Amino acid sequence: MSNSSFTYYEASSMFHGSLTHIMGTRFDLVLIGKGRELSVSVWDRIIRELERLGNMLNRFDPASEVSRINQKACSGAVRVSDEMWKILLDCRRYHDRTAGLFDITLRDFSALDLQPERQAISFLHPELSLDLGGYAKGYAMKRLLEILKTCGAEHAFIDFGNSAIYGLGHHPYGNSWSVSIGNPYRHGEPVGEFALMNTALSTSGNTPDYTGHIVNPLNGEKNTDQKMICVECDDPLDAEVLTTAMMAAGSGQKEKMMKRFQVIQWKEFDLQH
Amino acid sequence: MSKKTEKQTDLGLRQFIKDLGYLSGGAALLATTPWLQSFTPEKAKEIQSEKARIALIGTGSRGQYHIHNLLPMKHAEIVALCDIYAPNLKEAARLCPKAKKYTDYRKMLESPDIDGVVIATPLNWHAPMVIDALSAGKHVFCEKSMALTMDQCKAIYDASRKTDKVLYFCMQRLFDEKYIKGMQMIHSGLIGDVVGLRCHWFRNHDWRRPVPSAALERQINWRLYRQSSAGLMTELASHQLEVCNWAMHRIPRSVVGLGDIVHWKDGREVYDSVSLTYRYGNGVKITYESLISNKYNGMEDQVLGSKGTMNLATGMYFLEGEDASANSGIEQLLSQIGNKVFAAVPAAGSSWRPETQKAYKPHYIVEGKYHINDGLSMIGAVKDGSDEILSAFCQACITGEKGKDIVEEAYCATMLCLLGNQAMEEQRKIDFPDEYKIPYMKFE
Repeated sequence: MSNSSFTYYEASSMFHGSLTHIMGTRFDLVLIGKGRELSVSVWDRIIRELERLGNMLNRFDPASEVSRINQKACSGAVRVSDEMWKILLDCRRYHDRTAGLFDITLRDFSALDLQPERQAISFLHPELSLDLGGYAKGYAMKRLLEILKTCGAEHAFIDFGNSAIYGLGHHPYGNSWSVSIGNPYRHGEPVGEFALMNTALSTSGNTPDYTGHIVNPLNGEKNTDQKMICVECDDPLDAEVLTTAMMAAGSGQKEKMMKRFQVIQWKEFDLQH
Repeated sequence: MSKKTEKQTDLGLRQFIKDLGYLSGGAALLATTPWLQSFTPEKAKEIQSEKARIALIGTGSRGQYHIHNLLPMKHAEIVALCDIYAPNLKEAARLCPKAKKYTDYRKMLESPDIDGVVIATPLNWHAPMVIDALSAGKHVFCEKSMALTMDQCKAIYDASRKTDKVLYFCMQRLFDEKYIKGMQMIHSGLIGDVVGLRCHWFRNHDWRRPVPSAALERQINWRLYRQSSAGLMTELASHQLEVCNWAMHRIPRSVVGLGDIVHWKDGREVYDSVSLTYRYGNGVKITYESLISNKYNGMEDQVLGSKGTMNLATGMYFLEGEDASANSGIEQLLSQIGNKVFAAVPAAGSSWRPETQKAYKPHYIVEGKYHINDGLSMIGAVKDGSDEILSAFCQACITGEKGKDIVEEAYCATMLCLLGNQAMEEQRKIDFPDEYKIPYMKFE
């Protein structure tokens, strides 16, 4: 279903695994120096984990846990799994730390009633629903890093649909994993470069054929700016949450918000010219 | 065009077919493209000292196109020309000064000095001319489509069964390298199961020819009137429906469609806009569309497979999951590491989403060869197989060897065109009529 394929390059001791349909995007792993057998077994674990997370967090899959919440939480409290409960609490923390700019309800986080005593959730507004799109890839990336580290992986490049990337260790012929950022409005034109070494890079922005998908939860406005924001952090989840929040933030809010996180660097690219 | 050398005429395709035959062990080639079995470089050597004596009926633009293709062929000689329209006959005679001129094709068929006849006349003339020429003991090469009506097609098919003469129809895609190779790829499973077919032909042209006097309107603009033409279906779609059947190895069971005169409301009787769906027994459908008041989409014969897409007209194919924009960064990284190079890879950017998947990585069906027919010419494109199929016919005039399956393929394609017209006319689903079925047709 997720169209998995992999190739092992003996001469370079390099493994490349690819999933073309997972959590709404594609996924690539390049793993260096672990041999064919171990690489394949790591890949198997990664596929299983990604599919498990997809089944839990994908709001477009009617059988997922988040869909079950979206269907039922407006008419009463819905008990959730331990993992979902931790995720919801985490999303609340991020909501507070970003002064409301990261919001999985996209409109009114205060209408989300988290009931710790029952580990349950209910919506206080009939049209509320959860969208974990700005969280799921970062969360998945963290889980995958745990798998990779458990298996003894030291050098790997993980690409989650281009917008979430992690460079574990370094390139076999360089001291980091160097990635360039492409301008979606001018094909092939790079706008910036990042050298990742045990760090995550998340990118958020509009593209010519996909504009207005980022909503400011504080005023409901869709962001249509021709801009792109890149955030590099140690923690892939921080990076993922911050790029989404930064697209909505006003100029004064950005610096303030960044101070609350451990950010290695962040860049905003104006792509209008 | 007449300055072409012999080599350019057909040796390229002959060698290509020979190579394909070797690669696939010969038997596979015969199974999928039996009409090509004798079209090899060896066969060209065997007949090199002989000439097929060719007569042309119809010397208009398409007839002259064939003359240009025939002139450089060493194994062909144009000995006679026939037309009722003097300016065209004069122009053709200028190209072939030694050829005898006729205005009555029946008179011409009486000549014992003619081996084969090339017919490039309006569609309503195909049936009488083909049948008369076969009866006169001539080999026949006729333009597509086969004929104007289903009964005429059946009569031609029946005549071809009874004669020992060669009968070809100009279904040139059967002799086009990229179609031959592309079909082999499809039949070998490269693009998985064939799950759909999409063909279209768009032009922005009124389809009219200038008329010197009003009396000649129906004669010169024969394509526009139902008495002489079945419109877009027989003029354009026939090639494409043939390709679909070739890919599917079967014939659709039914057709629905809508046809209208949308833009060129100039007194013509045939549709300038058609949309049809043909349905095979296994549920796979051909979506066919043709419009001659907008050419943005050009022409394409597209075979959709569960693992890939074959664009036969443009000679390219694409495999599912090979999104060029998405994995180019990763591919560059893999290539870098393989070559022990360290550099930045363009991997990062706004999120990739499957629904925006537009730029698939292209593969060429025949590497290094791109004779792409943009579909805009009313006469014929260069290197689209037309000269090769004509060369094969001239060879057959010498050897007497029939072109296997060519009549059947032309019959099936033309019948589908005419059934499509019937479906549009009567605005209902038409099932393939039993009385026109032939043993060659496989429906399941």
